[in-house]
Amino acid sequence: MLSKFIDIAIIQGTIRMATPIMLAAMGAMVTGLSGIINIGLEGMMLLGAFFAVVGSYYFGSVWLGVAVALLSGLIMALLFAIFTMKFRAHIILIGITINAFALAITVYFLRDWFNVAGAFSDNAIVGFNTVKIPIIKSIPILGDILSGYTPIVYLSWLIIISMHIILYKTPLGRHLRAVGENAEASETLGIKVKGIKYLAVILSGIFSSLAGAYLSLGQLTMFTENMSANRGFLGLAANIFGMGTPIGGALASLIFGFADSLAMRLQGWETIPSQIVLMIPSALPILILLIFSVRKKKELKNFKEENISKLLSGK
Amino acid sequence: MAYAVEMLGITKYFPGVVANDSVDLKVKEGEIHALVGENGAGKSTLMNALYGLFQPDEGTIKINGEKVVMQSSNDAIQRGIGMVHQKFKLIPSFTIVENICLGSEPRKNKYFIDKKEEYKSVVEISDKYGLKIDPSSKIRDCAVGIRQRVEILKTLYRKANILILDEPTSVLTPQETDELFKVIRNLVNKGKTVIFITHKLREVMEISDTVTVLRKGKLTGFKPTSETNENEIARMMVGRDVLLRVDKKAIESEQKPILEIEDLVSTDNRGLVALNQISFEVKPGEILGIAGVQGNGQSELIETITGLRKIERGIIKIRSKKINRFSPKSIRETGISHIPEDRIERGLNLDATIEENLIVTSHDKKPFSSMGIFDFNKIEEFSEQLINEYDIRTSNSKNKAESLSGGNMQKIVVAREIEEDPDLLIAAQPTRGVDIGSIEFIHKKIIEARDQGKAVLLVSTELDEIMSLSDRIIVMYEGEIVKIIPGGIADEEELGLLMAGIVPDTLQSKMRREAK
Ligand SMILES: Nc1ncnc2c1ncn2[C@@H]1O[C@H](COP(=O)(O)OP(=O)(O)OP(=O)(O)O)[C@@H](O)[C@H]1O
Ligand SMILES: [Mg+2]
Repeated sequence: MLSKFIDIAIIQGTIRMATPIMLAAMGAMVTGLSGIINIGLEGMMLLGAFFAVVGSYYFGSVWLGVAVALLSGLIMALLFAIFTMKFRAHIILIGITINAFALAITVYFLRDWFNVAGAFSDNAIVGFNTVKIPIIKSIPILGDILSGYTPIVYLSWLIIISMHIILYKTPLGRHLRAVGENAEASETLGIKVKGIKYLAVILSGIFSSLAGAYLSLGQLTMFTENMSANRGFLGLAANIFGMGTPIGGALASLIFGFADSLAMRLQGWETIPSQIVLMIPSALPILILLIFSVRKKKELKNFKEENISKLLSGK
Repeated sequence: MAYAVEMLGITKYFPGVVANDSVDLKVKEGEIHALVGENGAGKSTLMNALYGLFQPDEGTIKINGEKVVMQSSNDAIQRGIGMVHQKFKLIPSFTIVENICLGSEPRKNKYFIDKKEEYKSVVEISDKYGLKIDPSSKIRDCAVGIRQRVEILKTLYRKANILILDEPTSVLTPQETDELFKVIRNLVNKGKTVIFITHKLREVMEISDTVTVLRKGKLTGFKPTSETNENEIARMMVGRDVLLRVDKKAIESEQKPILEIEDLVSTDNRGLVALNQISFEVKPGEILGIAGVQGNGQSELIETITGLRKIERGIIKIRSKKINRFSPKSIRETGISHIPEDRIERGLNLDATIEENLIVTSHDKKPFSSMGIFDFNKIEEFSEQLINEYDIRTSNSKNKAESLSGGNMQKIVVAREIEEDPDLLIAAQPTRGVDIGSIEFIHKKIIEARDQGKAVLLVSTELDEIMSLSDRIIVMYEGEIVKIIPGGIADEEELGLLMAGIVPDTLQSKMRREAK
């Protein structure tokens, strides 16, 4: 019975659906650790998705598409950093502004540049091909699980591993974590607090626009209105449940991905009411994470309290 | 002998105040130099300038005879200056080693932290200077005394030769202070120079070679310690004679107790028993002092009474009414007010103004608000009055609490809680970090409250304070009451023994004599 739900396709679907959330979670993590709550991830992802399509359409190259997406992420991140750190605007308000701006401007550009409403697809847009990893692809089961995704999936794994190494093994990572916990103390020890915060915000912009490029050139080869569909916020949530660690954030993202993937599978089943199926992507992760958080209650409580007080003070 | 530090004609302005007014400070190499002065006299400001946290508006600084301009604390560190601040600057979730090496980690392969090396060098320094620590425990699990050691190690790891300690003893128990003094002597023997800020003149006499006194931003004294005494220093600090003893008249109280505690049991944060069957009562017109080495259940006791900690068993009554399950707010409304032991953590909102901090416990009541609307005139009037009466040094009642000096922050909490006009005043370390003039004043206020028939529960690690104020003393040890004794009967030595859980024979016979 269970094998009807859990098969290779579900696992593959989980990984595919989890990838953009994972990338957003890494963005939420670097900013969160440096003491910044970046809810603009959502908008940065949406812009990334749009500009990836634009780049790919005009230059006829998928990688140039990604480059244009990353450039948009970089610019949004710099704006975010300058407004919050130089002009001291409230961090949450700037995040909301970025999200609203991204939604509106992509709709506008769709009309203005491509004369379409809702979605833009064209044969001139070059999307990603899947990668078949030699040797690994011929291992039974494992080969199917590990091989056959678009390059950004592998890139996201690389990012998670590098983040883990940077955070726990290098001075830079340690300084980043110190800045978020006690900026004043870090400052007196000669750590460049501002520089580190800028770096964190820029990384979050790059990660989330990469997630956007994955949506519009990896999963599909088109752009649709509000394509990010709250994945940026899911990334923020995944980071909280992952307690600010790369591995934790990645695992939490996989749970979200799994729920998505399961819901898609069950859509075809007539015996299950569609309302239940629609509930799965949000209800299942809540359930799983609830069980998890009851077991890790205390650590999680500390982590959340810190984040909530940061959220309220907007610093 | 050469001067390690010369600060000449230092002036520093803050909006509305001259924090340092053409101050000189000369510190010889290899000496222990005490820097004293009232709250807000400008001690921390002067030291922050020496540590490069800001530049003075006027004046010059020389280190080992060489004129220097320091743009940041990095420059100061480069020149061998290290500072332990009044408020510790540590990362709670990091280990001791990680905190000590933060910002100057040893590296391997250029990009990675050499974790073995950093562990090794921390252990080496801690052995060399006799600062015992457990290198891999997290700061958040460490007691204050240990945190302070970590701060000192941080400066030594950065090869500091001149150490600035800003009020290191105000957060320590007498035992921890003795330990710290051993460490300081050890440092000086190994060639370091130490500048040491304190409000306790006894400590100045005990440990320093030279003393510099500031008052209201100006230099008022500079002498070798051996050529002066406590009274003279006090006069230089305050500008008048200070009564170091309190007078109080005896009160006979036969009334019903205000606070009654029966068989109270509670646990600490780790879930271990912190209070084991505690019973006592406090009557109107009585100051009940609780003595004990920190960490023997005093904090938990106060937290249970004020509703901040769960009660496992037992009963707490206010005027015969059980308050076990009351919220902190409704407990306050029964007539209790509370000066918490940690002013920053529990007593203040540093981001809020002085005014807001002064009314925060009664902002929702008349005269400060009616029908949910503030009366700002009343609030301002009240704040101005308290600022004057309690001598809170600030240029404006609308400044943020953050801008105050450490002792003036404490005065805000004390003023607010005493002016609540409570039936029971719980005062935990009420004079922590305040200068002798203000100690005298706060003590007078506490006795005044008692003379008006209020009950006072005083918790302090300062034996002097307990002995001079209390009508009765409870000594706690490992969560239990060792003994309840009448005030003024035990001497310092006997109290010390009680605090170690031992009831001395001499005390037994004294108490028997008293009973007759
Ligand atoms: N950042 C600041 N902004 C405005 N005023 C300040 C600031 N820092 C200090 N002051 C003011 O400068 C004066 C000196 O303060 P300082 O902290 O040096 O006193 P202190 O001698 O260390 O007192 P304490 O014994 O209470 O710690 C005080 O009047 C204080 O209010
Ligand atoms: Mg000070």
